[in-house]
This record gives sequence, C-alpha cells and structure tokens, in this order.
Amino acid sequence: MMLKYVVKRLLGLVPTLLIVAVLVFLFVHLLPGDPARLAAGPDADAQTVELVRQDLGLDRPMTEQFVSYFSRALHGDFGRSIRTKRPVMDEIAERFMPTLLLTVWSMAWSVVFGLAIGILSAVFRNRWPDRVGMALAVSGISLPSFALGMFLIEVFSVELGWLPTVGAGSWKHYVLPSFTLGAGVAAVLARFARASFADILHEDYIRTARAKGLGEVAVVLKHGLRNALVPVITMMGLQFGFLLGGSIVVEKVFNWPGMGRLLVDAMDMHDYPVIQAEVLLFSLEFILINLAVDVLYGAINPVIRYE
Amino acid sequence: MKFAPRLRPAMLALVLASSGLPAPGWAAGKEVVMAVASTFTTMDPYDANDTLSLSVHKAFYEGLYGFDKDMKVVPVLAESHVVSPDGLTYTFKLRKGVKFHDGTDFGADAVKANLDRVTNPDNRLKRFNLFSNVARTESVDAHTVRITLKKPFSAFLNVLAHPSAVFISPAALKQYGNTESAFHPVGTGPFTFVEWKQTDHVKVARNERYWRPGLPHVDTIVFRPVVDNNTRSAVLKTGEAHFAFPVPYEQAAVLQATPGLDVLSGPSIIARYMTMNVLKKPFDDVRVRHAVNYAINKEALAKVAFAGFAVPSEGVVPPGVEYAVKLGPWPYDPKKARELLKEAGYEKGFESELWSAYTHTTAQKVIQFLQQQLAQVGIKVRVQALEAGQRVERVESVQRPQEAGVQLYYVGWSSSTGEADWALRPLLASESWPPRLFNTAYYKKEQVDAAIRRALATTDRSEKAAAYRDAQEQIWKDAPWAFLVTEKILYARSKRLSGVDVLPDGAFDFVEAELK
Amino acid sequence: MSDEGGTSALPTSQAAVAVRTPWSEFWRRFRRQRVALVAGGFVVALLAVALLSPAIVPYDPENYFDYDQLNARPSAAHWFGVDALGRDIFSRILVGARLTLSAGFSSVGVGALVGSLLGLVAGYFGGLWDRLIMRLCDVLFAFPGILLAIGIVAILGPGMTNVIVAVAVFSVPTFARLVRGNTLVLKQLTYVEAARSIGAGDWTIILRHVFPGTVSAALVYFTLRIGTSIITAASLSFLGMGAQPPAPEWGAMLSDARAEMAVAPHVAMFPSLAVFLTVLAFNLLGDGLRDALDPKLE
Repeated sequence: MMLKYVVKRLLGLVPTLLIVAVLVFLFVHLLPGDPARLAAGPDADAQTVELVRQDLGLDRPMTEQFVSYFSRALHGDFGRSIRTKRPVMDEIAERFMPTLLLTVWSMAWSVVFGLAIGILSAVFRNRWPDRVGMALAVSGISLPSFALGMFLIEVFSVELGWLPTVGAGSWKHYVLPSFTLGAGVAAVLARFARASFADILHEDYIRTARAKGLGEVAVVLKHGLRNALVPVITMMGLQFGFLLGGSIVVEKVFNWPGMGRLLVDAMDMHDYPVIQAEVLLFSLEFILINLAVDVLYGAINPVIRYE
Repeated sequence: MKFAPRLRPAMLALVLASSGLPAPGWAAGKEVVMAVASTFTTMDPYDANDTLSLSVHKAFYEGLYGFDKDMKVVPVLAESHVVSPDGLTYTFKLRKGVKFHDGTDFGADAVKANLDRVTNPDNRLKRFNLFSNVARTESVDAHTVRITLKKPFSAFLNVLAHPSAVFISPAALKQYGNTESAFHPVGTGPFTFVEWKQTDHVKVARNERYWRPGLPHVDTIVFRPVVDNNTRSAVLKTGEAHFAFPVPYEQAAVLQATPGLDVLSGPSIIARYMTMNVLKKPFDDVRVRHAVNYAINKEALAKVAFAGFAVPSEGVVPPGVEYAVKLGPWPYDPKKARELLKEAGYEKGFESELWSAYTHTTAQKVIQFLQQQLAQVGIKVRVQALEAGQRVERVESVQRPQEAGVQLYYVGWSSSTGEADWALRPLLASESWPPRLFNTAYYKKEQVDAAIRRALATTDRSEKAAAYRDAQEQIWKDAPWAFLVTEKILYARSKRLSGVDVLPDGAFDFVEAELK
Repeated sequence: MSDEGGTSALPTSQAAVAVRTPWSEFWRRFRRQRVALVAGGFVVALLAVALLSPAIVPYDPENYFDYDQLNARPSAAHWFGVDALGRDIFSRILVGARLTLSAGFSSVGVGALVGSLLGLVAGYFGGLWDRLIMRLCDVLFAFPGILLAIGIVAILGPGMTNVIVAVAVFSVPTFARLVRGNTLVLKQLTYVEAARSIGAGDWTIILRHVFPGTVSAALVYFTLRIGTSIITAASLSFLGMGAQPPAPEWGAMLSDARAEMAVAPHVAMFPSLAVFLTVLAFNLLGDGLRDALDPKLE
C-alpha cells in the first residue's frame, strides 16, 4: 500500500518539475533588463553588447531558446553560467554539500531543542519551565536572522575569538550559521509541539492512561508523543523550505559557499542557466522532503489512509 | 583624516588570545589572505569587466605597460616605443629574457597572438571595444612588434596599460582554446596560478623564475571574496585576513582602534555625480541645472554619506585622471539656487524623480541626502535605487532618447585607462547616448564633441591638454550633471603586511607584498 | 464536550449555550490570560500609534535633518537618538509602525484566507481537487519562501506593495498544507462522520464542523506569520529589495543601520526593539487567543 503510494507520488513529481521548468524559463525572461548588457559590463559599447549577446545565444528567437534549453536539460546539460562561463552543473556541485549540510544540521538541532522545549512546556504548562521555554521560543522568532548572525559573529568570533567567521572547512564553521539558521525553526517547533501536546494531554485516552496509574513520563512519551507528532511533522516539512530559503540570507552574512548565495548572485546578473538549474534542484529537493513528510505521517498515524 | 589609536582592553585580550589559536592555512610558508568584496567572474583578462577580477589577474599576467600609484603609465614588458607622425603606427621594443610560466619565451608573437584574439569578433570577448581600433599587429622581429590603428587614438598607450591588455602564453591559448583558457591562466606575472575555487578563493603561488630579481617576497596569496561589509571587517579583526578592500566608511574608526591593524585611505579617480536629462523639462534650462548644483552642500554630502572619505568634485574629471582641469568645487548657495529657479519660472519649485544606479548603503544615503537638499529649494524628488536589471532596462538599454524615463540619475565612473578620453567620451559625447554608452544626461554640444575628437587625433601633448581643457570648461558651464564628490579609497591591512596598496582606480597592487 | 459541535441534545447544555454566547464565552476565557491581555493592549496601542502617528510625531520623519548630530545618542530632544542621515529615530519608528503593521496584516491576511480555503477543499474533497491544489502548492513551494519573494520582487521591482504581494503568495501554500493536514484528521472524526450520515451537505460540514477545528492551528500560525512577514520584509531589505528609502519601514531602518552597527548601535537597536516587541506581542496575543478559542482546554 505504502510502496504503491510512494511510487505514485514519485511519478507525480515529473509533471510538477516540468511545470516548474516552464515557469522558471518564463520567469527569467520576465526579469527586467538585458542580460547581454549586464554581462558585458560598464565599459562595453553597443557593438560589444551584441557580441556578448551572440556568445550567450540570446540573439536567437525565444522559441528556439526554449526548445534547446529543454532538450539539453533532458540530457542533464544545463549549459554554462553567463557570469563565469563554467558548466552550470560544476557551479552547483561545488555548492550543493555546504548548503545541504547547513540545512540538515540546523534542522537536527532545532528539532531536538524545539521538541524538548515544547514537550517540557506542555507538561509544565503555566509553570516556570513553560514560561522560560516560551520566552526563549518567542525571542527566537522575533529576531531577524541577519541581525542574530551579525550579533553572534561580533560576540563569538570578534570579541571572544572562539569560532571562525567565514568559510565551511571544519565543524567549527558550522556552529554559528546553523545556530542562526535554526533558531527560528527551533522556536516555531517548540511552540507548535507545545500546542500540539497541550491538546493531546487533555484527550480521553491520556486521562485513561493516567487513571490506570501510568507515570507521567510514560504517559507523555508513549501516548502523547505519537499523536502529537503528526502536526509537528507537517511543520517540519514546512520549515525545511524555510531553511532552504533562510540559507540565502544566512549564507550572505556568513559568506557561506552555498547555493543560496549563488542564486542571489545569479539573479543579480540575470545568469539564466544558473537560475533555471538551481530552482529546479531546489524544487526537487523540496518535493522529496514533502513526500517524506507524508510517508512519515502514515507511519505515525495509521488512521490516515493512502489514496 | 587621522585616527587616534585607542586601545580597548577587550580587543587587546583578543589579540593575545588569538596568537595561540591554530590558524588554518597559515602554516604553509608566508601566505597572505586578502578579503575582497565580490566573487570573481573570470580568469580571462580579455573577458573580464570588473576591476576586482582584473586586479587578481595581475598576479599571473602582465602587459606592455601598467599604472603606477599615481595612475601614470609606466613600462612593464615594453622597453620603449615610437609613434609614427600620423599617430597610426606604434612600434614597441620588448623586454628580453621574460618567460611564461609554461617555460616558453615572451616575445612579439605573444603580443600578436593576444591582440589578434581580442580583435577577432568571432571570439566574442567582452573587452572587444577597448581594442576595436587596432587594425593589425605585426611582429617585426622576435622582440619588436608593430601595431597599426584604424584611426589616430592618442590615448593608445593608456589602453595598453589597462589591466585587460596583458599577455597569455600563446602555447596555452592554443592548448586550451578561446573559452577554456580562462580556467588555466599562464602568464609572465610574479605568481603562478594554483586554483580557483569558485565558492571560496583564488590561490596563487610564487613564480620562482620571475624576471624582476628578488620578487615576490611571499609564498602564496589567497584572494577570498567576503561579500558582506560587516563580515569583511570582522575577518580582519579576527585575523582571518591580512587585508580588506573596500572597508565600509562607517567602520574606519572602529578598525583603526583595533591593535595590529592599519586603516589607509588614498585618492581615487572615482567620480560621483548626478546626471540631469537635458532633453526633458525642466532640466533643458541651464538655470535649473545651475540651481541644482548650487542647492547641494557637497561638504555635507562627503561627511554624511562617505564619513568624510570623499572630497567635493573639483571639476568634470577627477584630479587623478590625466588632463583633468580644476574648475571647482561648485559653491553651495541655496539662496542663489532659489533665485535661479525663480528666474527660470519655477518659483514654487517642481517635482522630479531621482534614480540611483546602485542599491548599496552609501548610494542609499546619497540619494536620501540629495532628496533632503533639493527639498530645501523647493524641488521635491522621489528617490529609487535601481537594481542592476532595472538599471539596464530603464537607463542603459533605452533605444530611443525620447523614450528615456530618466530624469535625475545618481551614478559614478572611473576612467579605466586613467586618461581623460575614457572619462569624457563615454559619458558626455553625443555619440554616447544610451544604448551605445552612458551619456545619461543626453548632453550634446558640438564644441565638446569637436574637442574630444581633436584631442584623440593629435600626438602633441600640449595640444591635447588644450582640447581637453576646452571640453571640460564648456561642460562645467553647461552643467549637465550635478558635480558631487570624488571618492577616496579606503582599505585596511594587518600591521604585519606591507607592500599591498590600492591604486586610485580601485585595483590593488601586491607584487611587493611582504609579511612579517 | 464541544459546543461548536452543536450535537448535544441535553436541555441543560442548551440553556448554558443560550446564556453564554460564543463571544462572551471567548471573552470569559481570554480575560484569564494576563500576559495575552497585556500583549493585546500593546497591539491596540500600536494600532493607535500607527493611525495617529502623522499627527503626533515630534519631527518630520523624512525631511527633518541635523547634519551636526549624525548618529547622536538618545537625548531629551531626540528620545531614541538621531540616525546616520540626521533624522529623529523616535519619529521614524512611530511613522514606521503604520507601514510595518499594514504590510504585516495585509500580506498574511490575504495569504491565510486563500491558503485556508485551498487547504479545506483539498483535505475534504481529496481526489482531483487535492492533487490539483497540492500540485499548485508543490510548484509554489518549489521556490522556497524568501526565494519566491525575491523572484516576485525581481520581476515587479522593489517596493512595499510588491513585498506585500510576495509575502502573501508565499503564505498561501503554507496555510494550505497546514489546514489540509488538520482537515484530513478531522474528516475521520466521529462527529463529522455523524454529520455526514445524517445527510449534511459538503459545504455545511466543511464550514460548520471542519473549519472551526482548523481555526486554532491556523490562528496560531497567523500570529507567528505576522512576525515572520515583518522579518521577511526586513530580510528583503537586507538583500536590497525591500521598502524604498526614505520610507521609515522598520525592516528598512534596521538594514540601513547595519552599516552603523559598530559605531552607533542605538541606530540599529531601536528598530530591532520595535520589531522584537511587536512580534512578541502578536505571538503572546495569539497564544492567548488560541487558549481562549480552544474548547478542549476547560
């Protein structure tokens, strides 16, 4: 049943990606400004701009560009970057892991801390652990990540000298950016887990379990966790997108050699091939995460049936 | 501007503590880390349009001429030159005994191969227009080369001093081809290319066979893009970099107070100005354009937006550029501005729109400052900072002048050849209206056009100076721009590092870098 | 147990419902949340400031300037100090409240409305509707949040209105998925099945039985989202595409102040504080609302 569902969803992925591909192609051509003029630079005259246009293949009619983009993309060839003339796949390959690791680490610590704070707050509702936990959680979502990042660099790199500022070479490099990126998510998860648990802890079966004389810890973990996780997992899926997006800002602050920064640069320069390939990749990543969320859903809550 | 060094206990503690820290990468001999403001676009100097990439190319590439610290042309791989009386033929004697990194000899064939490459439109190189006036290049003998121009162009030596006009080993060009040679730079420079990690850095290592004896002093240089301004200051303070350019104006004082760091400022040839579209009302009236110039307090602008690291414009062309004429600064006199507006029939002022060609912090401050200043004389402007794409669409690619929406436009220019031609012609000659070049004031004056032509055609220096004086005086009088400020260059380096400086055009010089 | 369910047949219970209207019931519960009351008061005060700000500011937020006091610290004349262009920060914060709040409310409001509707339809009807709507969400999701916003702003051009559109669009799929998830669970519950078995129409069931069950989660998320949208606007400014100068939008003020962080931290501090307190107030208020709206928490 579940396997069939997964296969079906994977097949459903193809049309989504095609739609995304078409939309992105249209999107890049909607961007205001002539990419050849941008690529040619501040010293170029009109004749040079025309040379650059021919070089980039932008002098050909739109339909022709569209067809060649698609046929090449189907063969895994996304062309060369307008900005650096490197193959787009090379550009992205170099940046894929730093961004993936950054988001995964951010997710990992924020899930652990978010859930822990959320559960504690729900159990000790309206008592001091709840208040401290929620105060932390509220602070976490109330600060823009670039301000938090700036503050962390100032304190831990500049004043204390404990951690490096730029680069992605060692685990030390991951501490500040993943904390910055994950803070918002941890806070959201903590609040959501608390809300979700608070609901569950008032359900009849929990009361029954308590009445049966089970310890509070056992009640929470055995009966509460599973049911409360359903909305929390949805939230995780949603937050992954937030992390991918948030990495754009955080990568800029920490000079992170990842895909987010590449995308902003590409957008600035109207680097069509890079934008197209990156957005496709982002979308693929994201759809796969959502699929995983839906599958987890079923594993945790058998009430939901796969259609 | 002088900084009083001020020791902060916390900072001092930091420096003491950081000396015990394992610093990644420093162990391997003398390695200099330079933090720069954006990522590199290419390692092909003929396909590069940003000063930063071209600066890095200077590690492994050299040209016939170069610029010294005052933007004066000095010979590098050329020993001497002779110009024919008609100004069309240049014959160069080349330095002997210079070798490319691949072991081949540098000579006339290398000059020919490189110039033939860029002047061939089929190669579609971005620096095509810099060399499009070259008719042909001939090697007379192994170390003599003759270049013939299509029409006289008296700034040609400056073109050859441009950081694009450098020489790639013909063998490497042949081996890697037109596009791929960008990834395998082989030149004659003081450093050899090691790697270009697109995400992280460009690394170069000492060229053991460099023709200038005793150089370079350091083993490797790492150029690391650190895009964010605050982060770029932070890596200096933490010791992760020895040099940073540019340094945000706002942080100069803080960095100067950091022990072990020097903050340096020098003159630049970067002019900041606001063009007024003279085809449009009310800017078709010279009195209005004068009024705008009188209405702006340039001293205050330098203080507010540039933290003092700028000087009011002294003319059309910044003083560091060859043949610049001192004509100003334009006095600040809001009373006179109001009178002129009244004379022109705008007693109650008028409304207009001010666009900025950039979105960075300094530009945002400048346009808001201009908005405040113009409001004082009754000119209400809406301001907007244009992104690169918008700038191209709304200003640079506009096909017909009458369709141009641009009114007031804040922008800047640095003459990349260090000479008046490239400071005037692309911005103020009538042939340079968008989309051809950047005359965004749509200024057209026969006298100015003629003077620019005359200066290019002559080989006589005093005649040239007279022609450029004529053009600049006329432009100053017509005021198609509000002449604002000339920026200063601001950079910072570790006290352990010497021999690294930023030239007035924003390119940096690191051949003599030394690390204590 | 649930008065929203309305299925109880006991006369006593009916009497109770008649006395306590849903509104008074809500107020009775809400009043007990002291923190939320304070937060609510703050939000109301903020709304008042936003409405009245042009009349009550001590200085013109854009055209007053004093170049001799650049980055001056707080004083009697300038309560929050002076910014890098010589303007009064206090006045700018007050006027900025209007911009910031209206952007936050309108963007999230539109996003929540459209998103919840799509989520209900997808979750309840399933099948083709579900696939179609979720495909749309997938496509929208394929451009993660801020990226989508960047894309929209890149095409429309920078500016407050376009930022609002962008934030609204990227809120849609989030609300849709959230509400769909809840709808899937609620659909299976006994009282919904009961309503269906007695022949209630689909839209009656959706609006009367399913929708109320999704409100609390959506509301919690709505309040979080207001804060997020203020922060997103600031992030867009940080990336150079947000509110246009000299508009005193807090996010724009904050990103302008980044340059001065090292020399004049107060220029960054007051807008951060304004953002922080506002988001905080919305979150605390949202929590209170949630507890008061959720009937299960007697």
